Amino acid sequence: MQVKKTNYLVNNTPTFEVLSEEEIEAIYYAALTVLSETGVRIYNKEGYDLAGAHGATVEDVTDDSALVKIPPEMVDIALSTLPRKVVIYGADPSKYKMELFKNQIYFGAGSDTPFTIDPYTGDRRRAVYKDVKNFARLAEALPNLDFHMSLGIVQDSAVGTYDRWQYLAMLEGTNKPINITAVDKDGLKDQLEMAYIRIGGEKEWLKTPIFSLYIEPVSPLSHSVEVIDKLLFCADHRIPFVYTPCPLAGATSPTTLAGTAVQALTESLLGIVLSQLRRPGSPMIIGGLMSAMDMRTAIYSYGSPEMALLSAAYTQITKWLGVPEYETAGCSDAKMYDEQAAMEATMNIASAALIGGNMIHDVGYLEQGLTSSAEMMVAADEIIDMVKRILKGIPVNDDTKALHVINEIGPGGHYLAHDHTFERFKDGIWQPKLMDRQNFEGWEASGSKTHRQRVNEKVIEILDRDEEPKLDEKMYKELKRICELADEKYKDEELDLDMFV
Amino acid sequence: MSEKVFEILSTAILEGDSETSAAITQQGLDEGISAEDLLNNGLLLGMEEVGVRFKAGDMFVPEVLMSAESMASGMTLLRPILADAGVQMAGTIVMGTVKGDLHDIGKNLVSMMCEGAGFEIVNIGFNVAPDEFIKAIKENQPEIIGMSAMLTTTMRSMGHTIKAIEEAGLRDQVKIMVGGAPVDQEFADRIGADGYGANAPASSNLAKQLVGLS
Repeated sequence: MQVKKTNYLVNNTPTFEVLSEEEIEAIYYAALTVLSETGVRIYNKEGYDLAGAHGATVEDVTDDSALVKIPPEMVDIALSTLPRKVVIYGADPSKYKMELFKNQIYFGAGSDTPFTIDPYTGDRRRAVYKDVKNFARLAEALPNLDFHMSLGIVQDSAVGTYDRWQYLAMLEGTNKPINITAVDKDGLKDQLEMAYIRIGGEKEWLKTPIFSLYIEPVSPLSHSVEVIDKLLFCADHRIPFVYTPCPLAGATSPTTLAGTAVQALTESLLGIVLSQLRRPGSPMIIGGLMSAMDMRTAIYSYGSPEMALLSAAYTQITKWLGVPEYETAGCSDAKMYDEQAAMEATMNIASAALIGGNMIHDVGYLEQGLTSSAEMMVAADEIIDMVKRILKGIPVNDDTKALHVINEIGPGGHYLAHDHTFERFKDGIWQPKLMDRQNFEGWEASGSKTHRQRVNEKVIEILDRDEEPKLDEKMYKELKRICELADEKYKDEELDLDMFV
Repeated sequence: MSEKVFEILSTAILEGDSETSAAITQQGLDEGISAEDLLNNGLLLGMEEVGVRFKAGDMFVPEVLMSAESMASGMTLLRPILADAGVQMAGTIVMGTVKGDLHDIGKNLVSMMCEGAGFEIVNIGFNVAPDEFIKAIKENQPEIIGMSAMLTTTMRSMGHTIKAIEEAGLRDQVKIMVGGAPVDQEFADRIGADGYGANAPASSNLAKQLVGLS
């Protein structure tokens, strides 16, 4: 029986569902009620004027914002022009692309952690340019990571223009698709300019866009001036973007998970409506990042079962809507890559893959998203590999039932030397790279290394490799010049002291 | 007689029962119990137990906030009397999320915890520009300014705000505490803040330290 397909070669995939179709519909129609009756606050005149001009009610206008109520029919119209499939390419488009739709799964890093764990010393410290480049190099090297985000905020550059430096660092490290962040519209404009240079001009960009933009409205139901500026710019310039609210059940959304899903969907729908009003056909991906507040520490938990459950529910809702989805996995609240990190990441990676989230981000996140870890990233690559084996399922057909082989070997005997085994074992039996399956003597002879030591060694081995630069000198200089011009332009906004390093 | 009032009062705080807290505080005052005794032996005793239980993991944030709210409802009645009597109180904190930042929840959490510790809170919201902080200092004469930022870019606003407070000649009048996910002690030191709170309970302890209460 063919149940479900992913981009992984499958015949038969185990499925995981957390909502029934009735429940999905109930959540969707509830979100329409919130959008039309409670409304959302938009801190952007261009944004609320656009909605108002097309039938939304604009109320309670203040100096900097308005309450906007969107009737259901506006959502219907918006959904009718929203692309159901979004494709994002790598800087090497012939080698890397993500086709986001339905059950296609792609994994990638998270973004913008203030801190990182130095893989050479084990110290937690502020992230700098070199870390961001190194994480991009890891992403390039790891086969199960399909896209990348900046695992660390560059903090040895000017603070207000760090986004350009981060993009440069990532372009130095990887040719895979990148999901960027931007400080504001100008930061986005500069990075688009950089992408044009990288890919060979605007024409090339329109054929093969090489980044998407991460945009995050603030829960509950608030859309800041920068958020809407970025959204409108993306629509104008055909930049695929992720619109992901990050509500926190019990704190910035209802403590009941259904209520959190309703609110998150309301927040995403506003993004859909505005982008399609600005330019019908604007490509976007909606999130996927919800969790419950930890009621002891008040943190945003990235390792909670509620996060995995909510992400799964949201994935089902987006599939029902036919919108590409942004998922969250490969992350943990642990302070270093340890047993807790592995447990939490395994759980959320497995559920994200089984539900079939499209763009699954935050691989490498520790400490509720405050710290990035190369070990976590490398270990997650293998966890994803194991989960993909499960997704392949158990194809059942005449060849795989192997009655003729069973008959041939009969009672007693063995299958090890049979052609049927020889020809199929590599495909059928998953082989670990970092898990140790030796007996005690073998493990002792190879140095009695713990899993964490082996993972760290793998990180160092990748980072110490000699590599051809991804950018030639001329291109690097052109890209760097954009960063430097931005620094110069915004220097007055900086503090007259070194903030971080 | 007063022992009974204290017990009901501290239990009301522990259970987060604002109505009882206000009613019993009023009843205590009517019966002639001093405001200072009601504060120390009733309200604060309850909050101390809340602190102990929270630390031990027997109480959770929403429960602590209910307790803080019930503490505040009693304090509303006691504050003017205590002030008239010249009793030293925790004081006032002006609390805001800095310019460019719409993140509200962390700052509100800290506000409620500080309220539970006996402070009067003037919450000036989010996206607060330096001159609005200055205006709030002039209007409210707070002991402490609390600033929150969730983004590294808006962390700069904390530095700009401190500088603006200095330039307005008000820096000596207030203690400044900062917090928020990307903020740490080192950054707080660099911009010349008086303290950094890593989370809401730590921030309310810090506030007490800054006014010399612990």
